Amino acid sequence: MKKIAATWLLAALVSVAFTMRASADETLVLIVSADSKVAQLDSLEVRKLFLGMTVTHNGDRLRPLLNEAEPRLKDVFLQNVVSMTDMTYDRRILRLALQGGRSLPAVYADTAALINTVAADPTAVSFAWVKDVQHDKRIKILRVLWHD
Amino acid sequence: MPNSFWRLSIAFALLTFCSADWAFADHEHASNEFEVFLAGEAFHGSGQVRAGDDDTWFNADVVFGLTQHKFRVFGEYYITPDEHDLERLQFGYEFVPETVLWLGRFHQPSSAWDTEHHHGRYLQTAITRPYIERWEDEQGLIPQHITGALFESRRPVGADGAVQFSGGAGAGPALQHGEYDPIDLVDHNPGRHRLSVTGRVAYLPEYVGASSFGLLYGHDQIATVSPLVVSALNSRHAVLSIYGAYGDWNSEPWRIIGANYYVDIALDQRTHDESFMSGYLQVERQLPDKLTVFGRIEESARMQQSTFVALFEDHDGDIEIALRRQALGLRWDYVRRQALTIELSHVVSLKQGSDEVRLQWSAVVP
Repeated sequence: MKKIAATWLLAALVSVAFTMRASADETLVLIVSADSKVAQLDSLEVRKLFLGMTVTHNGDRLRPLLNEAEPRLKDVFLQNVVSMTDMTYDRRILRLALQGGRSLPAVYADTAALINTVAADPTAVSFAWVKDVQHDKRIKILRVLWHD
Repeated sequence: MPNSFWRLSIAFALLTFCSADWAFADHEHASNEFEVFLAGEAFHGSGQVRAGDDDTWFNADVVFGLTQHKFRVFGEYYITPDEHDLERLQFGYEFVPETVLWLGRFHQPSSAWDTEHHHGRYLQTAITRPYIERWEDEQGLIPQHITGALFESRRPVGADGAVQFSGGAGAGPALQHGEYDPIDLVDHNPGRHRLSVTGRVAYLPEYVGASSFGLLYGHDQIATVSPLVVSALNSRHAVLSIYGAYGDWNSEPWRIIGANYYVDIALDQRTHDESFMSGYLQVERQLPDKLTVFGRIEESARMQQSTFVALFEDHDGDIEIALRRQALGLRWDYVRRQALTIELSHVVSLKQGSDEVRLQWSAVVP
């Protein structure tokens, strides 16, 4: 009986440890290329950018890339940074496209492809989990957008 | 103006624009946009022998845009079984972020509804648009398509807010019997297009928000040579002065949009101008499971007494001019970028009352 209890206790501890590890990894960061001249973007500029408005830096128009590699990633970004549900956000950017032909943010469903694109384009701005970019020297983390 | 001139001008401008890559910095990307807004509709209206002009069984709104450095090109091509029109074609230069000067054919900025939803059905929660916001070829009473220059700017005010200014000037539509005739970019133009000046000043509580409240103004000089119109009005000209106010408040799960217009019509021979008022209020609420319920009331004053308004009734078996309408509906966004909507309404027109039911599928591709 004691052995069974000990096994359950160990399983519970491992589970908690994994959960804590997952939480630590759930830090959403704003990223640009390491070659980018952008040093920082405030919250309003990030919202403008991902809502299809024009944001420039040193004369270059910044290009938002939407990370849809995981549903939770996009949900966290929209709820905590853009302050909209997915449905409202989608209709909002479609409306901007209809109002003046504004380009919608490019969508990436693959993390590696997104990171490669950001790394290669100094005007690209995106977001990702910190665990996916923190060791990539081609990527510059501007700031933490959200953490669990 | 000959068709070929316009077609060549448009083609030349697009080619010039698209081949201008060399002129810009290395890191400046061209970005383009292409969306098609689709809708299919079923309609039944008591006492009406045909569906309304705004109730085609199918329509497609093709939107394309190109941004290169500070230059923009934007177009909207609308297709139904009965028409295919280049509704908008605009060439713009963005002086500073969110301040753009456009040249081309555009939707005049003093319409609260049309500048928000344009021709695409998917983005308007309701199936119908308010009667006072109808397009020219749907017997709309206010000119909507202007060819000329449009200036748009959004500037920050206070900590979070913004003020938005839009002003347009150019050639407005002429008046035929039953409808306005705006400048057509790819087809025949009979001429007689006079000056239109329109504008809007709005306050936005949040710079990036969707809520706005503002004042609207329009001045349209209308000319006609139609014997029927001249006979009815005893005038070859009409000057429309439009004063309006609107509010569009968005706070999830609620949205309220309303507008009211006062329209003054000055004619050659009248000592007293005609005038009428028309307005609407639409309330929407999102519900669980991607459902949205909505209701709208439309009201008007003095439309029955207006000989100018009566010109737009073409007696073809549907309702062109509504004095009032109450509508209630439910929209279901059942998958991403597709929605089903049902709308029930009661309309009182110049000559009859009618109960209507509409069912719509709407979508956006890609």
